[in-house]
Amino acid sequence: MTTLASGSVRARPVRRRRGGVGTRRRQITAWLFLAPSILALVVFTLVPMAQAVQLSFTDYNLLQAAQWVGLDNYTELFQDPGVWNAFWNTILYAVVVTPLTVLIALAFAIFLNQKLPGRAFFRTAIFLPFILSLGVIAIAWAFLLDPNIGLLSYWLGGVGIASGRSWLSDPFLAMPAVMMVGIWKNVGFYMVIYLAGLQSIPAELYEAAKLDGAGAWKRFRRITLPLLSNQTLLVTIMATVASLQAFDQIYVMTHGGPFFRTETLVMLIYREGFQQLRFGYGSAISLVLLAFVFVLSMIQFALSRRSTVRY
Amino acid sequence: MQKFRSTQSSWRSRSRVLATAAFTVSIAVALGGCAGQGAGGGTSSNKGDPNAKVTLDFWNPLNGADKPAVDQVISDFNASQDRVTVKNNSQPSDVMYQKVLTAVSSSDGPDLIAMHVGRIPQFADKGALQPVDSFYDNADYGSADIIPNLVSASEFDGQNYGVPLNQATVLMYWNKDMFKKAGLDPEKPPTTWDEFKAMVPKLTVDDNGDGKPEQYAIALADHEGIPVWQPLIWQNGGDIVSEDGKKSLLDDPKSLEALQYWTDLVKNEKASPIGLGGADADKLFQTQKTAIEIVGPWMTTAFDEAGLNYGITKPFAGPADDTILADVVSFTVPASADATTRDAAYEFIAYWNSKKGQTTWATGSGFPSTRSDLTADELKENPYPAVFGAEDVVANTRVLMPGIVAGPTITDSIFNPALQRVLNGEGSVKEVFTQASKDIQAELDKANK
Repeated sequence: MTTLASGSVRARPVRRRRGGVGTRRRQITAWLFLAPSILALVVFTLVPMAQAVQLSFTDYNLLQAAQWVGLDNYTELFQDPGVWNAFWNTILYAVVVTPLTVLIALAFAIFLNQKLPGRAFFRTAIFLPFILSLGVIAIAWAFLLDPNIGLLSYWLGGVGIASGRSWLSDPFLAMPAVMMVGIWKNVGFYMVIYLAGLQSIPAELYEAAKLDGAGAWKRFRRITLPLLSNQTLLVTIMATVASLQAFDQIYVMTHGGPFFRTETLVMLIYREGFQQLRFGYGSAISLVLLAFVFVLSMIQFALSRRSTVRY
Repeated sequence: MQKFRSTQSSWRSRSRVLATAAFTVSIAVALGGCAGQGAGGGTSSNKGDPNAKVTLDFWNPLNGADKPAVDQVISDFNASQDRVTVKNNSQPSDVMYQKVLTAVSSSDGPDLIAMHVGRIPQFADKGALQPVDSFYDNADYGSADIIPNLVSASEFDGQNYGVPLNQATVLMYWNKDMFKKAGLDPEKPPTTWDEFKAMVPKLTVDDNGDGKPEQYAIALADHEGIPVWQPLIWQNGGDIVSEDGKKSLLDDPKSLEALQYWTDLVKNEKASPIGLGGADADKLFQTQKTAIEIVGPWMTTAFDEAGLNYGITKPFAGPADDTILADVVSFTVPASADATTRDAAYEFIAYWNSKKGQTTWATGSGFPSTRSDLTADELKENPYPAVFGAEDVVANTRVLMPGIVAGPTITDSIFNPALQRVLNGEGSVKEVFTQASKDIQAELDKANK
């Protein structure tokens, strides 16, 4: 799992604009500067990843010798209803959380890019969840949502919406609850990326558009949005990968329940590996997820490469 | 358990790294399996060094109100001799069970682990634990005085992997004030299912009529906590799996009938909230939002502190049976412990189960003693050991799925999710639990292969 988390989150740097012709000496210097991160990448990402590949062809529980089982884990996982359930839950989570996160981040960025009283406060407040541990956040939200002692339930009750029961044990509300926490946590970070993008758009463009009689919507549609497409690409890929790896808040808030309604692939990998002690099978599922994330990121790249802008 | 499914050649084709790792692991397991070498070096492989100073890292899931009593027994033991020092490392049970395997496979893991007996087969099967038959063979350790039912609960595959630490009989707590307010006799808790059913309309209260009762008759948890639904199945003559662990009995008509009776009570008459974890159920009883809870002796402290006016008695009996669930925690010794460590652990275990150790434990925690010879008089400092250890209670208890490797998986990944499905109206008892029974059978077959 560690493999996966670090393996696929690796943000791919936006393509180098231009390949400079460096002397051999400069190349060596560059490699030396890169060495520490390459070393860390190899030791903590690539090696464990290779080990996961190896493990996925075995039956292994940490204590007894790994037993070679060939492709058994893979044939099993494609027939396992638990894997399919987790797969669709993951897709559902990603399909809802990714666009919402990106849209809300963009909306906040545009709003807080204007001169407003208390702007710094709001920016900080929205960014704050990102620097907190998701585990801690999830515990806090679980308390807020508690049907008996929760503040949120109390307030909702006060305005006449009696949440009949705990959101987290309700098969229809548990998923929205963990989605909400996932969005709330990450929106601030993407907002900052968008803010940086917004501030790099030259003001003359807006002035010129205004002179030409373009309204606010048109300026947004024709200038802001296209010129933010670099940020949008980055943010979308990062948000997609993050939501395909949803784990922490689900582990803390619902444990994948009720009856596996919120069990994502990473949750399942965890359950198979650390609870059922089937590390080989868990590795196999994690590699399938890795392949899926990789293909998806490639498609996203291919689709958006054309729209990359320079100005 | 798992068959070696490859040919020799494909084995060889694997990288050397893994082979070496596997080799190292197998050596470690082999050494652990024969209980290793004594630290003294010259001793035979089965004898520990009786003079070496040993510090035991003792992992256990007793981290609630019972922890001070554990600490007390440990410090008494540490003071009673100067060779062995026990260090208490208590942690939440779910956290502990997830760490056990990785900890045991590393060199500086725990030296002594207390775990619920239902967990023992899973870890023993993986080679994480060593048998403790030698504890029972040595008369000096005084194991003859421990209640036999508790001893046999940790047997697996013809060997015993545990020595009892405690037994928690799971009884019915009822709130007398709430009974009185509902117009019921506060001294007459329900003694049968039907008596309870008749009380539900009085004890479940929805004053403002919003469909969400402000008060419930009972709190029945459906995940993460002491199992309360499985004993209900026993009480109707049904079961989860057969005693030999080979056959699922969840689709037996009697099991299904019990589940139908109780899920109907919860769904239609709102006898209990849906989706409770064990801790939620405790909280509801503690805040007087439920009139009845079925739970072990560890809650007495919290309920007393909350100032509740409650009584404790045997749970209501079912049509066929009045079996009571016993939750047993036992000491286990990791496979990696050498003979010296193991013998030091035995000394502490013997002290824990001695008259002195048990008197301290029972009076400190409210748990009944693990010994058959401690009289109520000797434990009178605390009223609860006598209640939870009453003869008619202890004689009638049963442990959930002892000796079954798939036990934890059946409970957490099959039974509880199926129950939640039915309670949330996603399928009938018959269809959901018939399927669950098939899943259980598949798990049993896998483990018995």
